[in-house]
Amino acid sequence: MALIQLKEVSKCYRNNTVLDCVNLTIDDGDILGVIGQSGSGKTTLLNLITGFIEPTEGQAVYFSSAQEERNLNQNLHRIKRFIGFTPQHNSFYPKLTVKENLWHFGRLYGLDRKMLAINIRNLLNFTRLNDHENKLAEELSGGMQKRLDISCSLVHKPKILVLDEPTADLDPILQKEILHLLQEVNKQGVTIVIASHQLDCIENICNKAVIVNKGRVKLEGLLEDLRKPGVKDHFTIRVETDAEKENLIERIRVLPIKKIIDKGKTLVVYPRNIEKTAQEILAIIQEQHLALNDLHFKKMSLGELFERIVKEDED
Amino acid sequence: MMRALWLLTIKNLKLLLRSRSSALIIIFAPLLIILLLGLSYNNSAQFGLNIGVYSTAFTEDVNSFAQVLEEKEFTITRYNQLESCIGEIKSNNIHACISVPESLEIADNQQKVVTFYVDPSRVNLIGIIQETLQEKFSLKSQEISQELSDNIISRLLETKETIIREESNLNAIKGKTASAASSASSAQETLKGASLQSGENDIVVVNDTVVVIQNLLQEANDLIDNAKSSVNSAGIPEDADREEIRGYLNQAKEKLDSIHGDNQTGELALLREKLNAAASAINSASSKLMEIDASLKDANQALASLQASLNSIRANIERQRVTDAQTLASPLVSKIERVSQEGTYLNYLFPALLVLVVMFSSLLLGTTLVMIEKNSPAYLRNFFLPIRRINFIVSIYLTNVILTLVEILVILSISLFFLRDALAVIPSIALVLFLAGTVFTFLGMAVGYLFTSEETGVLASISLGSILLFTSGVILPLEGITPAIRQALDYNPFVVAEKLVREIFIFKNPLSSAWLELGILIGYAAVLFLVIWGIESLLHRQLTQRFLRKYHKSAKVKIEKKKELVNS
Repeated sequence: MALIQLKEVSKCYRNNTVLDCVNLTIDDGDILGVIGQSGSGKTTLLNLITGFIEPTEGQAVYFSSAQEERNLNQNLHRIKRFIGFTPQHNSFYPKLTVKENLWHFGRLYGLDRKMLAINIRNLLNFTRLNDHENKLAEELSGGMQKRLDISCSLVHKPKILVLDEPTADLDPILQKEILHLLQEVNKQGVTIVIASHQLDCIENICNKAVIVNKGRVKLEGLLEDLRKPGVKDHFTIRVETDAEKENLIERIRVLPIKKIIDKGKTLVVYPRNIEKTAQEILAIIQEQHLALNDLHFKKMSLGELFERIVKEDED
Repeated sequence: MMRALWLLTIKNLKLLLRSRSSALIIIFAPLLIILLLGLSYNNSAQFGLNIGVYSTAFTEDVNSFAQVLEEKEFTITRYNQLESCIGEIKSNNIHACISVPESLEIADNQQKVVTFYVDPSRVNLIGIIQETLQEKFSLKSQEISQELSDNIISRLLETKETIIREESNLNAIKGKTASAASSASSAQETLKGASLQSGENDIVVVNDTVVVIQNLLQEANDLIDNAKSSVNSAGIPEDADREEIRGYLNQAKEKLDSIHGDNQTGELALLREKLNAAASAINSASSKLMEIDASLKDANQALASLQASLNSIRANIERQRVTDAQTLASPLVSKIERVSQEGTYLNYLFPALLVLVVMFSSLLLGTTLVMIEKNSPAYLRNFFLPIRRINFIVSIYLTNVILTLVEILVILSISLFFLRDALAVIPSIALVLFLAGTVFTFLGMAVGYLFTSEETGVLASISLGSILLFTSGVILPLEGITPAIRQALDYNPFVVAEKLVREIFIFKNPLSSAWLELGILIGYAAVLFLVIWGIESLLHRQLTQRFLRKYHKSAKVKIEKKKELVNS
C-alpha cells in the first residue's frame, strides 16, 4: 500500500537542477534507503518527501487511509501528523530535559496529556533513555542525543519516519545501536526512509533502496533486486589446445555473452546474465571435457553497485 | 609576523563584508545616522518652538506681541481659554503658553504682567524656552518703554513750545506793569503837589476850626431844639411865646454871625483854595489812575492768557500718567508659572526613564528571543509541527510581555518608594508601558527576523533603540530640527509613549484624554504584528532551508573529515 509517491518530480534552485524527474513510491512498512554521494540530492529528495520543499515540476502526493491520492504540499498541515522527521543534526532544545523535550513536541502535536505520558514512557523505555529523562539534552552523550532526536520524531506516533544521515557522526557501536532501534521502530509498523552515504548501514536494515546520483534516481527497488549479479561475474575456463579453444568460443558466442577474453590457455567469459547462462556454459564445458578453472559468481554489494553507477555516470 | 597580521586582517575584512547584514550595519548604519542627523539639523533657525498665546481679546497690542515672537520662526497658536493653552503644553503640542493682557498700554504706574506658563518636566528645554521667550519679551518691554519715554519727551517739547509762545505775553505784561508803575509815580507826584497846608499849624487850625464850627453848630442846634421844645411844651400865649422864640432865634443868629465874622472863615477860604488845587491834582491823578487801570487790565488779560497756557501745560503734564521710574524702565514684567507641581529632576525624568527601560528591554528581548528560536537546533523540527506559524510569533511576544510586565512591576514598585503620590496613576502608566512594550517587542522581533546572526541582530536592536532615543528629544532637544522632520518624529513610538506617561504621571491627566496617542501605539502594534507575520511567512521557508543548508554543510564537512581519517 503506497503512502507517498513522487511523480516526475524535479527541483531546481535558480538554474541549478538538484533533482531531475524523480519517480519514487514509498510503501507502507518499507525501510527505504536513499543512497547518494554528498551533493547528489539525497536531502532534497527527503525534503520533497516530507513536503518541506515544493517540487519545481511534477507532483508529490500522499495516499489517505482510503487510498485517495492527495497533493502533499497542499495538505501539508494534515500530513505533518503522519510524518516524523529526524534531520542530520540533532533537532531538540538542548536546554530542556529529555522529558521536557518529548513533552513539548508531543503537546504541540496535539496529543492529550494521558496519551502523551504513555507514549513518552514507552519511548523512553524503548530508546533506553528512562534513566536520563531529567537530564538536560545537552548533557547527553552523542548516541543518547540521537536516540532522543529519534524519540522526538516518534512521540506523536507517525506513520513514516524520515531520517537524514542518522548514523553520520556516530561511532560503529552507536551506529549499530541506532540501526537496531530503527528496525525495532519499523517492526512497530512505522515506515522508515533513511538517507545515508553509509551503504553498509542501509544494506543491513533496508528492504528497498534508491540510488541517487547527480540529481537523478539511477536505481530504485527492492534491495534483493538491486543486488543482482554484476558485471564482474565470470567463468574462467582452461583449454589445452587451440582447437578446443576455438570450438569453445564458437559455442559460447551464441549465448548472451558480454565479452570473452582470450588469455592463451584460459578463456574468461563474462555472460550478460550469469544466472541464466551458467547452466548452458557448464553443459558445454562438460561436453568438451574442459577444466573449469574459476567460477566468479556473486551478487554485488550495494557499495559495488553504487560505485558502478557512479563510475558509469562519470564515464 | 606582519604578513600573518595582514592576512588575518584581510580575512577578517572579507568575512565581515561577506556577511551582508554585518556590513550593512557596521558600514552603512553610521553613515545613515550622519545623513539623517545632517538632514534633520540642516536648519538655520535657532529653535522652532511652538508657543501658545492666550489673551481675553486679540487686540492690536496682543497681535504685535505675537508678531515679535513669530519673527523668530516660532509657531504661534492663539487661545481664548487659558485652560486650553495650558492643556496644550501638557499635551506637548506647544512648548510654552504666554498669557498677555488685552492691552499693553500703560495707563498708570501699574506694570503689565505677562505670564509664561512652561512645563518644568521638559528639563532639557525649559531653560532654552525661558531664555528665548525672555529675550523676545525684553524686546517688547523695551519697545513699550521707548514709547512711554517718547510720550514724555513729546509732552516736554509741547510745554517748551507753549512757554516760548507765552514769552511775548509775559513781555507785554512786563511793559504794561512798567507803564502802570510810572503812571502811579506820576500820580503820586501829582498828589504830593496837591498840598492843603496854609502854614505850619494849618492842619491844627483847620482842625480847631472844624471843632469850633462843630461846637457852634451843636449849640445852634441845641438852641433850635430848645426853641422847639419850648414851643411844644409851653402853652404860652402867642405873643409871649413869640418873644421868647425870637430871643432864642436871635441868639442863634448871633451865634451864626459870630461864626461868619470870625477869622476862621479866612482859613476856610484858604482851605477851599487848597482844596480846589487838590481837586485839580486829584483829577490829574485820576486820569493817571485811569491809565494805570487800562494798563493793569491789559496786564490782567495777558496774565489770563498766561494762566490758560499754564493750565494747558499742567493738563498736558497731567495727561502723562506714567510717572513711576520703574514702570517707565520696565513697563512689562514677566512671571513664570509652571504648569505642574515643582518636583525634582527625578520626577521630570521618570517618564522618560520608564519608557527607556521598557524600550531597550523589549527591543533586545524581542530580537534575542527570535534569534534563540531561529538559531535553536529545534527550529527545523518546528516546521514539522502541525501548528500555525502565528503561534510562534505570539508565543515569543507573550514570553516577552511576561518578562516586560515583571520588569514594569519591579520598576513601578521601586518607584513608589520615591514617588509615593503616584500610586493613583500607576495602573494607567502600567497600561501605557504595556502598550509601549508591545510595540518595542514587535520592533525587536522584526529586527530578529530580518537579521541572520544574533550579534548583528542585537547590534541592530541597540542601534534602533539609540536612534529612537536620540530622536525623541529626551537627550537632544528636537526643537533645532527641521520642522518637517520634527513633525514626523512626533510619531516616534518612544515619543508617543513618553508623552503619554508624562501626561499621566506629571499632569495627572486621565487616560481617556490621551486616546489619540493610545490609538497610535495600538496602531503601531497592530501594523508591526502584521509586518512580522508577513516577514515570517515570507522568510520562514527560506530561513528553514538556510538553517537546513547550514547544518547540512557542517554535517558534510564532518563526514568528509571522518572519511579522510578512516582513509589515512
